[in-house]
This record gives sequence, structure tokens and C-alpha cells, in this order.
Amino acid sequence: MAVPTESHPHLGQPENPNLSDPSPEPDDLDDFEAEIDEEDNDESEEDDEESEPITPEAQMRVDRVSMESLFKRLSTERVPVRVHDVLIKGNTKTKDFVIEAEVEALLKNATTVQQLLQAAGVANARLQQLDIFDSVNITLDAGPPELPGTANVVVEVSEAKNPLTGDVGIFSKPEARSWSLEGSLKLKNLFGYGDLWDGSVAYGWGQASEVSAGVSVPKFKALATPLTARISLLSQDWLKFSSYKEKALGLSLGLLSIGNHDLSYNLSWRTLTDPSQMASHSVRRQLGHGLLSALKYTFKIDRRNSPLRPTRGYAFLSTTHISGLVPDNRSLRFIRQEFDLRYAVPLGFYHAALNFGISGGFIFPWGRGFLNTPSYLPERFFLGGNSSPVCTLRGPTSILGFKARGLGPAEPRRQERGNSNNESSDASTGMDFIGGDLAATAFADLSFDLPLRVFREAGIHGHAFACTGSLTKLTENAHRELSFQKLRESFRCSAGFGIIVPTKLFRMEVNYCYILKQHEHDQGKTGVQFSFSSPL
Amino acid sequence: MEDGNEEREKLTLVARKPCFGLPTACPTCLPVYVYLRFAHLPLNLEFNLIHPDSDQIPFVESGNYVAYNNERGGVIWSLKEDGIVDLDSDVRGIPEWVSTKAMVESWLADAVMYELWVGSDGKSAYKIYYSDLPWPIGKILYLKQVRAVKQLLGITSENAERREEEIYRRSTSAYGALSSRLGEESFFFENRPTSLDAVVLGHVLFTLHALPETSLLRSKLLDHTNLVKFAESHKAEYIDANSSASVPESDPSTSASRRGPSQWSSKPKSKPKREKTEEEKKFRRRTKYFLVTQLVAVLVFLSLLGGSNDAEVELEDDDDALNYD
Repeated sequence: MAVPTESHPHLGQPENPNLSDPSPEPDDLDDFEAEIDEEDNDESEEDDEESEPITPEAQMRVDRVSMESLFKRLSTERVPVRVHDVLIKGNTKTKDFVIEAEVEALLKNATTVQQLLQAAGVANARLQQLDIFDSVNITLDAGPPELPGTANVVVEVSEAKNPLTGDVGIFSKPEARSWSLEGSLKLKNLFGYGDLWDGSVAYGWGQASEVSAGVSVPKFKALATPLTARISLLSQDWLKFSSYKEKALGLSLGLLSIGNHDLSYNLSWRTLTDPSQMASHSVRRQLGHGLLSALKYTFKIDRRNSPLRPTRGYAFLSTTHISGLVPDNRSLRFIRQEFDLRYAVPLGFYHAALNFGISGGFIFPWGRGFLNTPSYLPERFFLGGNSSPVCTLRGPTSILGFKARGLGPAEPRRQERGNSNNESSDASTGMDFIGGDLAATAFADLSFDLPLRVFREAGIHGHAFACTGSLTKLTENAHRELSFQKLRESFRCSAGFGIIVPTKLFRMEVNYCYILKQHEHDQGKTGVQFSFSSPL
Repeated sequence: MEDGNEEREKLTLVARKPCFGLPTACPTCLPVYVYLRFAHLPLNLEFNLIHPDSDQIPFVESGNYVAYNNERGGVIWSLKEDGIVDLDSDVRGIPEWVSTKAMVESWLADAVMYELWVGSDGKSAYKIYYSDLPWPIGKILYLKQVRAVKQLLGITSENAERREEEIYRRSTSAYGALSSRLGEESFFFENRPTSLDAVVLGHVLFTLHALPETSLLRSKLLDHTNLVKFAESHKAEYIDANSSASVPESDPSTSASRRGPSQWSSKPKSKPKREKTEEEKKFRRRTKYFLVTQLVAVLVFLSLLGGSNDAEVELEDDDDALNYD
């Protein structure tokens, strides 16, 4: 008899038709049962096939009819079934519970065959997502003959033959605050827990470089959430903008990652140095070592239809950073909160859309004497840079038209004694941008397709935008002098238009920006600028 | 904000933290402080507590002007070059002044560095440099600095004792030379304070107050009472008189600042230390021999056991047979 292939279920013999079955057609059911009886008789008499006086052609016809009626039944009725057992095969290294944790609850909750088929599909996808198997097959089979109406599910996995994979690419990492060229090596499933080990080296756009190694475990024993741990050595060069270099040796643990919520813990040793010896007063006071022990909570909803060119939907991101969680009061203590809100409205013609966005954030120290201590310099907000505010959801960071770290509170750098007569030579470049404690940005962007078809097909489109932003200092009693008037005057504005070229890796823009309002030491430039952003 | 700007225009010295009754306890910062006090300049004293491994500290700033210690031969030289203060204009041509200064800045500076990081148990160094950093960072930086000092002084495990003797010998002869040069005067040259006086005063105050009582260097210094008197009298006149609130008596355990010259005590324990290291070496050698013999015995036993396995199995069978009988 034709044994069904892996995707077809074979039911056990139902002795008593289920009374809750909504609309059993008695004729079909009797035929069906009769056929099943015949098939079961066939199964019991394995050795002696020739005792049945049916020709092969007739047998095939019978089987085909039974299959058709089976499918008809499956598509129209809810055929009840109970999963008796989930068998796992093919895993030599991977522990059973890793696979069971992904699929067992899902499969055992299925009560009808249709639900079971759906659940099998989802379970297959989940196992593929673990990224440790080359292939996954899920087969539904008959349950033990003494238990009617049951099915066994067989999960057959084929483990990755080569556990080591290498990767080179361009990514955007939140630690580096810009994007970077990264090479990484991944080791999969070393201990059989579905663990992924990786080591990577990244070199970034703003002279940032990072060496890191990490491990992620999807589900460890009873914990419901994947765990990740990462050790990294990061070094960033801000000498040109703020006269300091930052080095951080850190350990970060991903504690919770469920749905829209993400909680992680970070312990790092940060060092600020000034090899140029030109730093301004505030920066000089902050050079040295610090220990950061912080919890970071992120809540993210992104319902836009595309991260590179959103035309409909909204997105919201909130990040809370609380540092100073060790009882040692010599570690860095501050609270930092930032949020982003984006909204896209389609306009109906030329594939046009209006994008609005607003971002804000503040940082404030806590602990003894917090009203007089300055906030930690690398954690302050810095505005400027050439990344588009439409795609990037990273807090208040970008205003088009201004250079990186190009606006906000600035202090004069060190002046050589001999040059005190030539003040003009140092005036333009001799400022350090020291960032602010309270930041806000907002933008409006109208994007539309260009009239030429060749552009439309390539995804190249145009846009017109207006941005505004403000950066002010709150700490060291500066908040006492802050008034609504001063805050309003601290907003800088720019507007412009340009062309956007989206590529697979990033989004490139060529913009003409006009600076509407800037303050004395800001570095905004009216003119044509290139801007790169990645939607992460 | 305007007050802040005015503050910034004043001459400010950024140095390491004050303790042991001294306005700043770091041996490189203290001479600069004393020099500025000799010059009677109005001075703001601020502290950097988080950068112990920086060679930029101490630095002097006024508005946007900064004189770092790792540029142009140090803060004192930079201040002279930039026309802010110069106490050495008359003595710079005297060859004895130059060579005395060179001796103090090489031999005595090396001796203090050795004593602070290698020769003592490190508690003073920890208190001065790392007590305001979180523990793991402080510990790691301390160990790094000890290794750097050993490298700088050329100390390895083979020549450690020889170098130590050399350093102490040089410091003894330096103290003798200084003592005979000073005599009963109040300053070394021309009865006026110069940068040499500032450097010697800084060194003597540091050695007397910040190093522990068991320090050998300190006991050698105490042999020269005129140097001690020189230090105590100038401290009272220039430092304690101006200090007011800037020298916190934050350490009740060291009452060193209240002592007069006659009350200095020293408990050198260098000799017992040397014997201890020899005993330690003997002990370590014996432990090594013991462990090696144990390992060899275990290996021999295992190889014999492996060879005679069959014989033992047969014995067991015989035993069983006997039991069944």
C-alpha cells in the first residue's frame, strides 16, 4: 500500500466517530472507515501480501480515492487529532531540550490536523532561525495503534557540518555611534546548547575601531529569553571635534529580549585622554578613568512600511540608561533618557509621503553633590553629522547641514602663549564642542518619485526637508538660568532639497542645505553635501 | 557664568590629591606647589583624582593658557619661558647650582620613585593615586605602574638587590651633599628661594610625611637634622600659613603634621626583609623538589600497576573461588 510521504498525515483508526464533529457525512465516513479498515488489515498482515486478492492497478485506484476523500475531508472539516509524542532525530551534538523548547509547546497545543500543519510550519521556521542547522524536516506520523486519534511528530534536523563561518560587511553598531566595516568569525553550536560564538573586528567611519567577542544562547534551561554576552574593546577618536580620545573595555549582557522590550547590562572601564594637549577647560577636567555600570532599557515599535523609505506608519523608540548601579560611589552615576517618534503619511500621488519626526533626550547626574557635578562628557548629546533623520532611530543626533558634533555649547581650546598676538589664526578652529545635557530635534520631510521612469525603477527619489534642533547645558547650576525664551532662541534651523539613492547596504543622499539660523561657533555650511545612513 | 570666567582667569594649579597633611601628596606636584608659594603668587589649587597615570599633571592654567608638565622640560621651565614667574634668573649661571639640581632631580627622584612603588608595601601609593578610583580600575593601574617603574629603573629579578643598594647608596651621598651645602642657612644659594629649594623641600616633605615609618630612605633622611629643620620651618612659613582650607586634615591616623623635628622616629626593617627573601627562596626550592618527587612516585606506581594488572585479576578470581568453597 502506498505509504504517505513526509507531508501527508496518516491517521490512526477512529473506532468511535467524534460526537462533537460538526457535520459528518455518513456515506463518506463509512467509506473512509471501510478503507481504513482495509488499510489496517494490510498493515497487520505484513508478511503475507499475496493473501489479498487485489490487483496492483485496483490497489492504486483504491488508494487514490482514499487520498482524495482524505484531502476533501481535511479541507472542509476540522479533523481532530492529538499529538502523542514529539521525536527528535539527527542531533548528535545539540541537546534535546534546545529543540524541544522551540517546538514542543507549539505542537502539543494543536487540536486539529489543520492546526498541526500550521504549527509544524512555524516550528520549522523557528528551528531554522536558530542558525545552527543546515536543514530541518518535520514529519507527521501515525501514533501508536492502541491510542486512536493520535499522531507522532518526528523532527529531523541536520546539523551544520562546518561550525565556523566568516563574514565581512558594513554594519551599524550602536556602541560606535556610526557605521563600520566589520569582519567577523562565527562558531556555531560549540557545546550543543544552540550557542553562537563570534569574534569580530570593526573599523568605523569616525576613526572608531572595535575588537569584540560574544556568545548568545537561545534558551538556557528554564529561562524564557535568549541570553547574550559580549566583551569589547572600543577606541574612538574625537580629537578633531572635542579634543579627546576615548577607550572603553566593556562587558555587556543581554538580559531580556521579549517582543518590543530589551534590557541589557553594561560594565565598562572608560578612559579619556588628550594626546594633542589642546583640550579646553571642561574637557581637561574630565580626562581620566571611569567605571560605568549601567542598565539599559529599550522599548521599540516600528510600524512603518519600510526603514529606508517610509511612506506609511509610525515608529517609537525610547531608551533609558541608568548608570551607577554599584554601591561604590566613585563610579559614574547618571540617568540618560532619549526618545524618538516618527510618523509617515502617504500623499497618494507620485508615491509621495510626508515624514515627521521629533526626538529628544536629557542626561543628568545623580548621587552626592549631583547639582554641582558636570555630566559625563562621552555620554552627553551631540548634534550634527550627515545622517538622515528619516531613517535613523538613534535619539536626537542629526541635523542636516551641520558637520558632525557641529553645534551646541563650545569652549575655546588651549592657546599657546606665543600666539596671543595672532588671535585670528586660532579663532575658527580653536573650539571644542562639549555637547549638551538637554537635546531636541524635529524635522519634516516630503519625499516624492522623480518623473523619469529609470529613476523610479532604481528606487531613486527626491525629497525636500526642514530640520531644527537645540542643545543646551543643564548641569553645574546652568539650569537655573534656563528660561523658555533662552530655550527658544537656542534652536538652529536648516532646510533644503536633494536626491536619495538607496543601495542594498546604505542610503546615500545628495542634498543642498541652506542654514536658516545658527549660533556663533556652530559649523553649519550652506551648500551641497553628501549624507550616508543605514537603517539600523 | 561670569564668576566662573573670573575664576578661570586666576592662576590655577591642578595637582593630585592632598593627604598625609600635605597640600598635594604627589612627589612631582609638590615641588611645583612650593615654587609657586615661594613666588607669592595668588594661587587656586584644584585636584584631578581620576587620572593617576597621566604625565600632564601637574599643570598650571590661567584662562586659555596651560603649561603641562610633559612639555618643554616641565611646568617650572614653561612658566619661566612664558614670562609668568622666574626665581632662578640669578643662580642659573652658577655651575654648582646646576649640578646640585641635576643630582636632586635624578638620584633623589629615583630613590623616591623606588621607595614609593617597589620598596614599600604600596599603601602610600594607593592612597595618593588610586583611592578615588573604583577598586578594579585602581588595582589594575597600580600593578601596571609598579611594572613601569621597575622597567624605568632597570630592575629585573636578577639585579634587584644590586639596584636597591645602588639607589640607597646614591641617596645617602646626595643627602650628605645637600646637608653640607645647606649648613645652617635657610636657603641653598644666595639666601633666596630658587627652584632648587622648591624641589628639595618637596622631596624632603614627601619623604618625611608620606612614606611609611619603616622606610629606609626616610631613616637615612632623618640622619640629617638640618635638612629636616629646613623643611619644617619653610613648611610652617609658606605652606601652612597659606593653606587655610585647602589642606584638609582628613587623615586622623597620621598625626605626622603635628610632630616637631625631635619627635621623628624611624623603624627601618630592611635587614630582616633581605633574610626573609633568602628563606623564601629556600622554601620554594624545597617545595618544588617535594612536588617533583611526588609526581615521579605516582607515575612509577601507575606504570607498575598497569603491568601487574593481570596478576591481580587472577588473584581476585582465586579469592572468589575460595569464598565459594
